[in-house]
Amino acid sequence: MIEWFAGAQQLVLAGVLVWAGTVKFRATAPEAARRSALRKLVGERRVVTAYRAVGTAELTLGALLLAPPMLVIESYAAVALFTGMLGYLVYAKRKAPESGCGCLGDKQTPIRGRAFARTAVLLAAALATLGAAWWPAALADRPLATVAVLVAEAALVVALSPELDHRWLLPLRRWRVRVRHPLATGPTVVPLESSVQRLQKSDAYRSVAGLLRSDLLDWWEEGEWRLLTYAATTSDGQVTAVFAVPLRDHGPADVRVALVPDPEPAPA
Amino acid sequence: MDSLGRRKFLTGAVLGTTAATVVGASTMGSFAPEAAAGQRRPLDVEAGAHDPNFIEGRITGLRKGMLMVTSSDRSMHRIHLTGATSVWKLRPTSSDAAKVGDGLYARGVRMPDGTLAADAVWLNIVNLQVHITSIGRNVMHLDHHGDRIVGHVVAGTTAAVYNSTPAVSDLSLLQVGKHAQVIGAWRPDTNEVDLATVYAAA
Repeated sequence: MIEWFAGAQQLVLAGVLVWAGTVKFRATAPEAARRSALRKLVGERRVVTAYRAVGTAELTLGALLLAPPMLVIESYAAVALFTGMLGYLVYAKRKAPESGCGCLGDKQTPIRGRAFARTAVLLAAALATLGAAWWPAALADRPLATVAVLVAEAALVVALSPELDHRWLLPLRRWRVRVRHPLATGPTVVPLESSVQRLQKSDAYRSVAGLLRSDLLDWWEEGEWRLLTYAATTSDGQVTAVFAVPLRDHGPADVRVALVPDPEPAPA
Repeated sequence: MDSLGRRKFLTGAVLGTTAATVVGASTMGSFAPEAAAGQRRPLDVEAGAHDPNFIEGRITGLRKGMLMVTSSDRSMHRIHLTGATSVWKLRPTSSDAAKVGDGLYARGVRMPDGTLAADAVWLNIVNLQVHITSIGRNVMHLDHHGDRIVGHVVAGTTAAVYNSTPAVSDLSLLQVGKHAQVIGAWRPDTNEVDLATVYAAA
């Protein structure tokens, strides 16, 4: 069982490495490099070169894993690469927690548990290839099982890659919300914000806006009206500005205002 | 006069039902913009200068009618609340809503003894530019520059403003993956926010 499983791991690793290496040579790569934690590690000037060097190493190792023969040195190289990757993630998490890792995509997402889990999975896969035969042997021996493991591991790597969420997770969530919107069940009320907006556009409000001192003090409803009060100051002293805003259909001219003296001066 | 009686009195004043009994109530005559412009108080703070009439910080202590606040620059302030102070905490509320640990913005008038007589206090208010990453029952998961924020929908309070049209309580036009601006009340020391208003395109 171990033999064919180890063979499948070579394919998984090769696939991920070629993909990671390709990402680092895209047109958007320099931008992604500058946003990654690598910038903190090697400095602004060398970051693109370092990013591409990592990409070259990944592409080379990916190609070596695919090509015959399978040498144990390739496994060691993969183990070293992913151990280094884990170290890089720890460094990035401590020194530049808001930077992306720049690993498998140019989407910048801060390094969290998923990036660590993905690297740990890949490190385990690299360890599993130690001493294994070249991958076509596994494919010939147990074709179905090998393909199943490949698909499952690829899905796991994708699921652990926040850089790829916009390709599958977001569309999935968008589809779910389109089918049945979870927030479509709430009661239909006229929100307070709606009355405040209408109030602020009204002539009544503008005519006294310079006198108002507070934000909205209190509000309540009376029949078809919503009443809103503000503290205000006039030359006669402190007053309460009380506005009446119609709850439903109306024009802005329907808003009414009165300034009512406070019953007693508020204590200072 | 209790608050219910006061509400009734004010309702009568503005709707004219008890106008005859309201002494001193003045329903405004002129709604011309010039009239409004003339009332505006001049700005008394230079651009970029420290505004003595504004305080931001977190509540470290409560006394009757007074909030002890430590600002982010570690300066300490005392804020008086009066019956004429508006207090916002997800919605307009009373000064009892203030709790130790709440973040606040307060505006008012600095008194000679150094305290601030507050005109308005906003507790835990946040204004965030986010992406909606998922929508669940009474909850929205938001991405704020890579930080995850849980936005709680509060029935009867949370409103949506679509394409700058008047606010509505219908949140069913919000879409996953879209950009939104959120005004809400932070739950102190968490990454959770109760949503007041969500501004989005529809």
